Amino acid sequence: MTTLWDTTGSAVVKALAAERRAAGALAFGLALTLVVVVDEQHVSQAESAATAAAAAHPCRLLIVVRRQIDSPHPRLDAEVSIGGRLGPGEAVVMRMSGRLALHAESVVLPLLAPDAPVVTWWYDAPPEKIAYDPLGVFADRRVTGTYAATDPVAALRQRAEDFVPGDTDLAWTRISGWRTLLAAAFDQVQASETAGPATVVSEPGNPSACLFAGWLQARLQVPVTITDAPGRKGIQGVRLAVGDGELELARTDSRSAGITRTGFPTRVLPLPERGLGDLLAEELRRLDDDVVYAEALSAWSQIPDLSRRPLHREHIWRDPALEHTAATSPAGASGRPGAAQRSGAAERSGKAGNAGAAGKGKPTEPAEVAEHAGATPTAPPAAS
Amino acid sequence: MASTASGNPLRDPRDRRLPRLPDNSALVVFGVTGDLARKKLIPAVYDLANRGLLPPGFVLVGFARREWSDDEFAAFAREATERGARTPFREDTWERLAGSLRFRSGSFSDDAAFDGLASLLAELEQSHGVRGNAAFYLSIPPTAFPVVLKQMQRTGLASNDAAGGWRRVVIEKPFGHDLDSARELNALVDDVFTPGDVFRIDHYLGKETVQNLFALRFANTLFEPIWNSHFVDSVQITMAEDVGIGTRAGFYDETGAARDVLQNHLLQLLALTAMEEPVSFSAETIRTEKLKVLRAVSVPDDFGTFAVRGQYSQGWLAGERVRGYLEEADIPASSTTETFVAVKLGVETRRWAGVPFYLRTGKRLPRRVTEIAITFTKAPHLPFDVTDTTELGNNQLVIRVQPDEGVTLRFGSKVPGSAMEVRDVAMDFLFGEAFTEALPEAYERLILDVLLGDATLFPNNAEVEESWRIIDPLEDFWRKTTPHTYRAGTWGPAAADDMLGRDGRRWRRP
Repeated sequence: MTTLWDTTGSAVVKALAAERRAAGALAFGLALTLVVVVDEQHVSQAESAATAAAAAHPCRLLIVVRRQIDSPHPRLDAEVSIGGRLGPGEAVVMRMSGRLALHAESVVLPLLAPDAPVVTWWYDAPPEKIAYDPLGVFADRRVTGTYAATDPVAALRQRAEDFVPGDTDLAWTRISGWRTLLAAAFDQVQASETAGPATVVSEPGNPSACLFAGWLQARLQVPVTITDAPGRKGIQGVRLAVGDGELELARTDSRSAGITRTGFPTRVLPLPERGLGDLLAEELRRLDDDVVYAEALSAWSQIPDLSRRPLHREHIWRDPALEHTAATSPAGASGRPGAAQRSGAAERSGKAGNAGAAGKGKPTEPAEVAEHAGATPTAPPAAS
Repeated sequence: MASTASGNPLRDPRDRRLPRLPDNSALVVFGVTGDLARKKLIPAVYDLANRGLLPPGFVLVGFARREWSDDEFAAFAREATERGARTPFREDTWERLAGSLRFRSGSFSDDAAFDGLASLLAELEQSHGVRGNAAFYLSIPPTAFPVVLKQMQRTGLASNDAAGGWRRVVIEKPFGHDLDSARELNALVDDVFTPGDVFRIDHYLGKETVQNLFALRFANTLFEPIWNSHFVDSVQITMAEDVGIGTRAGFYDETGAARDVLQNHLLQLLALTAMEEPVSFSAETIRTEKLKVLRAVSVPDDFGTFAVRGQYSQGWLAGERVRGYLEEADIPASSTTETFVAVKLGVETRRWAGVPFYLRTGKRLPRRVTEIAITFTKAPHLPFDVTDTTELGNNQLVIRVQPDEGVTLRFGSKVPGSAMEVRDVAMDFLFGEAFTEALPEAYERLILDVLLGDATLFPNNAEVEESWRIIDPLEDFWRKTTPHTYRAGTWGPAAADDMLGRDGRRWRRP
């Protein structure tokens, strides 16, 4: 393991090459580069999830921590390891502060494994638009976690607005187990028995329940309602009419669920609540776009033809410092005062986008600007 | 395979997140108290359950002579699982599986026991909704096959129509001991079950690397153009074991290395290496191509030189003294059974004409390793001085099946320095264990395939018979000879080295 303080991107590239040499004749198939974007306070959780996923998929792991975006001096600290605490593969943890955090791609691009697909995962709430984050623009697959947002359902809607094939959300990954069991239960349903209206029972404001409903709507063409079950965590079950009877799939405990169908014995099957590492590993299994996800998201959000959107995103340059100058507008003045004290990096990649999304269902630029007002008072616009 | 899943509106071929679960079904294991069931089958069933790959209505039915209740069987199965499962043991998973365990005791000639089994399966229809689907795993000595199969025929257990679902049978090697006995066995099994419902397990084909061979050959453009006699000099397939015969003395002494390993595992690996590209990736098309290769396999003219048998004598292996084969418990001192066999085969097709396939297997060799090594021809012209390339050998592609699953490519490279010197270097691709520990074990994969009705990884009766056609003349010849001896802990008898030496080649040290 090599630790570099206040270093440069080239030094990190050199350190990685040196680690590779030191590791000897180590050559496993490098299938992809996984870029993890995470805030300082969640680094260890993100690291352990990424390490678990990397154990199932040979990859180069690049963890990017943006912090103190308002710091006057750009600075890069990096830790390079192979076969160390971050799993069997190659891993680089980079902490970027100051203006460098806005140009993270300048450090990350030369570190990408040659010609291998890139997956970017935002541990914290997703950016409002992925195009704002250059680390998402060059990725072939983008994995977000709307769970981390203040208002996950609004964040999921924003994901639908901003959708480009190749995006997925961990809220979707979380229901693979449910979908597997329901599909298995449907294997026993005769073609003559048609499915009727369905209900998904879930804790309120759960994005996975939205996608589950969307998926059922898209596949079965039946009306689907989401019923709140307050006080419980996650999805509790799904009910739907099948033929003359009813089919119900309900969680019995944290590891299993029961399938009940009129006229058939009840069966209990494993339905474990999976850890973040498992979820991420499932995402890394496919590097093409997930059409079924696009259809489920489309059905839920009522935004048609998501899967036919163009595959490419253009980077949209957004400078918090420039927004500072724009913040003299009346909308900017109404910003919450507390925002100014928090670190700009956390705001930018994290809660900022969703604070807007939470407020109005659809974020507006002024709210966004307000978040950053005063957050970067010292950085001159010309610095970028 | 008839399946209700085809019309399932929730299934979408583009939805690769959803694993295919088998139909509700029962797995009936005959000889469930035996070693195979205890060490492999029961743990594999638990692992499948733990991974959530078993259907909602799944029942494991054990059948054996012991007078056990369902609970006693469950206790036995639990112990087997705790010892052998690869996934962590979880009480709740176990509780669920334990509720789906049934046991029927009886001898194979006991009519009442089989009637009881038939009525149990009918009951499970009500309690578990198995819909007449059942797979019968014959984990019993081949001598017991006829009586068990007859019983199944009598009680209608083997009939898809009578059951109203699918009925499949799984058999383990040895599939007979020569061509005639294999034909007899196949005729019997295929008569009781329909041939498409017979699954012959060769657990090597359940291994990830072996399946990766398909990907390597048919998904890449790099290898296929040179995969022929223009570029390939020879092929060596090795399956070496460091262990002795263990507790299988009786079985092994009757069987020998050629029947135990060469006839099935090695010939299957040869078939996968030499086969043409199947028109699609399905059971039928792959078997067609494998069968074509096996039909084209020729044995050498001179058995004395190119079909070598060996038997290990005492020696040192991995720092321990080990006994010779003849000193093993329950082996007659006059035994001429081989524990090592090396043979040169040809594949008489346009692609492979003139390329020797050297196959070898043995016990008490220095280490456990299975690999397929493809040696390429030397470059037709070398523009270097002769002295520059003295250390340059043939290019080689090695597919390591176990352990250290992966691929090695050996090629010439310049020795760093001011002089022009070329020597061999090896490039290793490690499909390392670090990345594959989450993968299912071979038996898990194969049991799942049986329940799904996917026969891609199972050799069929024609392949088995064709393999015996290759082995039988060798066995006839060997009957009159005694095997060479080799010290335990060496790479086989000197005669095996001479065999390649005559062709101007040498065995690769794996």
